[in-house]
Amino acid sequence: MALSEFQLFRPKTIQSAVALLAQHKGDIQVLAGGTDLLPSMRQKLFAPKYVLDIRGVEELKRIRVLAGGGLEIGALVTLSQIEDSEFIRRNYPVLRKAAMTIASPILRNMGTIGGNICLDTRCLWYNQSYAWRTSCGFCIKKDGSLCHVAPGGSKCWAVFSGDTPPALLCLGAEIEIAGPGGTRRIALADLYTGLGDTRLKIAKDEMLTRVFIRESMSGYRGAYQKLRVRGSIDYPLAGVAVIVKSSGRHAPVQDAKVAITAVNPSPMLVVGADHALIGRAVDEHIATVVGELAARTAKPLTTSALTPEYRREMIKVFAKRAVLEAAAG
Amino acid sequence: MKKELIELRVNGRIHELAAEPNKLLLDVLRHDLGLTGSKRGCDDSSCGACTVLIDGIPMLSCTLLAASCQGQEITTVEGVAEHGGLAAIQQAYGRWGGAQCGYCTPGFMMTVKYLLANNPDPSEEEIRNALSGNLCRCTGYEQMYQAIRDAIEAERKGLAASSR
Repeated sequence: MALSEFQLFRPKTIQSAVALLAQHKGDIQVLAGGTDLLPSMRQKLFAPKYVLDIRGVEELKRIRVLAGGGLEIGALVTLSQIEDSEFIRRNYPVLRKAAMTIASPILRNMGTIGGNICLDTRCLWYNQSYAWRTSCGFCIKKDGSLCHVAPGGSKCWAVFSGDTPPALLCLGAEIEIAGPGGTRRIALADLYTGLGDTRLKIAKDEMLTRVFIRESMSGYRGAYQKLRVRGSIDYPLAGVAVIVKSSGRHAPVQDAKVAITAVNPSPMLVVGADHALIGRAVDEHIATVVGELAARTAKPLTTSALTPEYRREMIKVFAKRAVLEAAAG
Repeated sequence: MKKELIELRVNGRIHELAAEPNKLLLDVLRHDLGLTGSKRGCDDSSCGACTVLIDGIPMLSCTLLAASCQGQEITTVEGVAEHGGLAAIQQAYGRWGGAQCGYCTPGFMMTVKYLLANNPDPSEEEIRNALSGNLCRCTGYEQMYQAIRDAIEAERKGLAASSR
């Protein structure tokens, strides 16, 4: 399927990229790795007048260890670069484990961390060809007024399907957003709205530029588990990230975080999971309790080919397995 | 839509051509440059038949704008042959029947080229993982794994050089 017509910009700096965003606000789409946007443009989910190809902004392609400690990851760093980073493997293993499960090795060479954070939400009724969507009378997220997932409702339940954001939420990551007035820095947790259609709190003339992880979050052991239909291609249909800090396998947990993805319109930290884990040595029972907390946070609906019941159950199973894996180091 | 002049470096040669901004790299390679080795398979970035190397790294040419690839080195299956002869991996695919219908083969070639360039002695698991983004509908994976092992062996013994 052909892409709709557009004019292409290829800025070399953040400043010129942001100026173009401001100038063509609403009619312009940011293109980085292209693995999310271009297939969607083929399906006519987007038909922007302008496309802003930021692949030429060199300063956003770096992973940088900061002088005062901590890590800065440019938005254009590819998922393969994350996977290959020895520093990330050693200090923030949960991020590497999540990144290396994304799509296929070839797609990880293209897809970026910024794109994974800003990923469009997905739904069985949305990620379809124009002809397919026409035959169903469209949906609330695109071109229509009806939600096929929750008929009668006015909320879009399309699911956030990024794998790195739950890992980054566990690590308390912050992001830098560039706009016409300069840059602002917010917690990643504050980026997401919880709505399937207007998923990000980011203005039309802004773009994500960097991710920051504090040094104090290094040294946590981590695990990431996910469910998908085809093991080397598909988006997750349920995903769980876990980080645990302790002095050894059977030592009491000093700190822990659990986050889930692909079962809500945004990635979510599992409230209470840290309290369930802190101060105790991890065993089957505690891992099961965390699994139940995670399943309670998950609100899967009929947005995919797998049933919501199965996905919720798998969140429970994967959370338990991920807790045991992280604790075992 | 207005065409724009773009400059692409493909298999070591520079091509100047006029293309619409929405034109995919795969279409420019096949239609404008006559390099029909790269194939359109799924058209939704899941099969790998269109895989090419961009600055040495495998990417999907069906999911790249041609104009975005200016200034980068593009390698297609037509650029895999070495010194006018088949590369070791191409010879090994021939010996082991690594290509059945052949449609997915150019994409696999590019992935294997990258794998062996970066990891000359991959384990079985590393081979399978590296190839997991390319699909073969003939399901002839086993012959491909054998061909890759054979090519590694041939390189090691220097057979590739002597058979040219």
